[in-house]
Amino acid sequence: MRNILVTTAIAVATAAAAVTLSPAVRAQQGSSLKAPDLSGDWIADRTRGGFGQSLSLSDMGGRNRGNESDIPYQPWARTKTLSEKTSTGPNAQSEQTTDPQVIYCEPPGVPHIYLWPIKTKFVQTPEAVYILYEIGPFFRVVWLNAKHPADVDPQWWGHSIGHYENGDTLVVDSVGFNDKTWLDQMGHPHTEQLHLIERYKRVNQNQLELDLTIDDPGAYTKPWFSHRNFAVSTTGFLRYQQICSVRENQQFSDALAKPAVTTPGK
Amino acid sequence: MKSRIAALTAGLLLMAGAALAHHGANLFDMSKAVPLKGTVTRFYWGNPHNQVEFDVKDDKGEIAHWVAYTEPPLVMLERGWSVKSIKAGDEVTVYVFAAKNGAPVANLAKIVFADGKELVANNIPGAPAPPAR
Repeated sequence: MRNILVTTAIAVATAAAAVTLSPAVRAQQGSSLKAPDLSGDWIADRTRGGFGQSLSLSDMGGRNRGNESDIPYQPWARTKTLSEKTSTGPNAQSEQTTDPQVIYCEPPGVPHIYLWPIKTKFVQTPEAVYILYEIGPFFRVVWLNAKHPADVDPQWWGHSIGHYENGDTLVVDSVGFNDKTWLDQMGHPHTEQLHLIERYKRVNQNQLELDLTIDDPGAYTKPWFSHRNFAVSTTGFLRYQQICSVRENQQFSDALAKPAVTTPGK
Repeated sequence: MKSRIAALTAGLLLMAGAALAHHGANLFDMSKAVPLKGTVTRFYWGNPHNQVEFDVKDDKGEIAHWVAYTEPPLVMLERGWSVKSIKAGDEVTVYVFAAKNGAPVANLAKIVFADGKELVANNIPGAPAPPAR
């Protein structure tokens, strides 16, 4: 009887704690759960959406930029989006683009990097998950059993903490981004108030899904959501280093792009 | 197996769509691939895009120097290309999406070598059949 009472008390306390625990404590608790195996080289799943241009699930091709039904713009953010000149998509103005990744070779940031035709790899350790990307090559650190700094210093990739859930999902909570990157190829802006939640779920041996919550009260009136699908690639990771070089970009522009925009005969 | 490879190739071509236009695809007529017979003078394998330079001789014997680009090596490796795929001196027919303004620059669709071997770089909507040899 006593054992039953003790067990019941522990169960009640655990249930109460699960409701009231801070995210950081829940992260600690969650990290003790079985970690899913996220190994593999992950690339956008062409059979389920591919790369697209926009994070908008109603307008993945970017044809309705600025007027997507699922992006709750603040007025300035809509104006800013419409003022941008994209380097890709249906209305690309590649030679006049304002995409900072293209013109300055700056990091695309996250989630923008998931709109690129590159592979992603997860390296899981007890302390952290390292997310590696073929472009850059860049990597992020998702600290397990950790908290965000109280006074986070805004940076390109933000500050990420994470935990595992249900034995199949890695939840990444990120804050502390600077405001220099676009959220996607279509110029959707964000501010330093961006709070990004990524849920990576391995649904089977060959498929990974990413649910995104974009919560930025500086640019949008409420949180909004996106989704990416990935498939395992068997062609090898980082077979070539996709580095953005101003010198190489200039050489390409001089050899190919500039002649193509010059008026014939001039 | 053949259909799997074809499906894989088609998929890889689709996958590169995001990066396809980064450096000017809107400047080229992507509606038709034009065949140009010539000699490779240089193959640049690197970022931000591979470039194939080749000379095309017209009926009057005048030579036009063309430059055509592909996606970067990371993407082209997925399509079966490598740094050794092309070399100066190769006699080729290059199918190009030519610049809309008439300049001798292009987005590369595919290359057909003298022995008939093909390297596909891009989707070709309504492309003409390779020339009879």
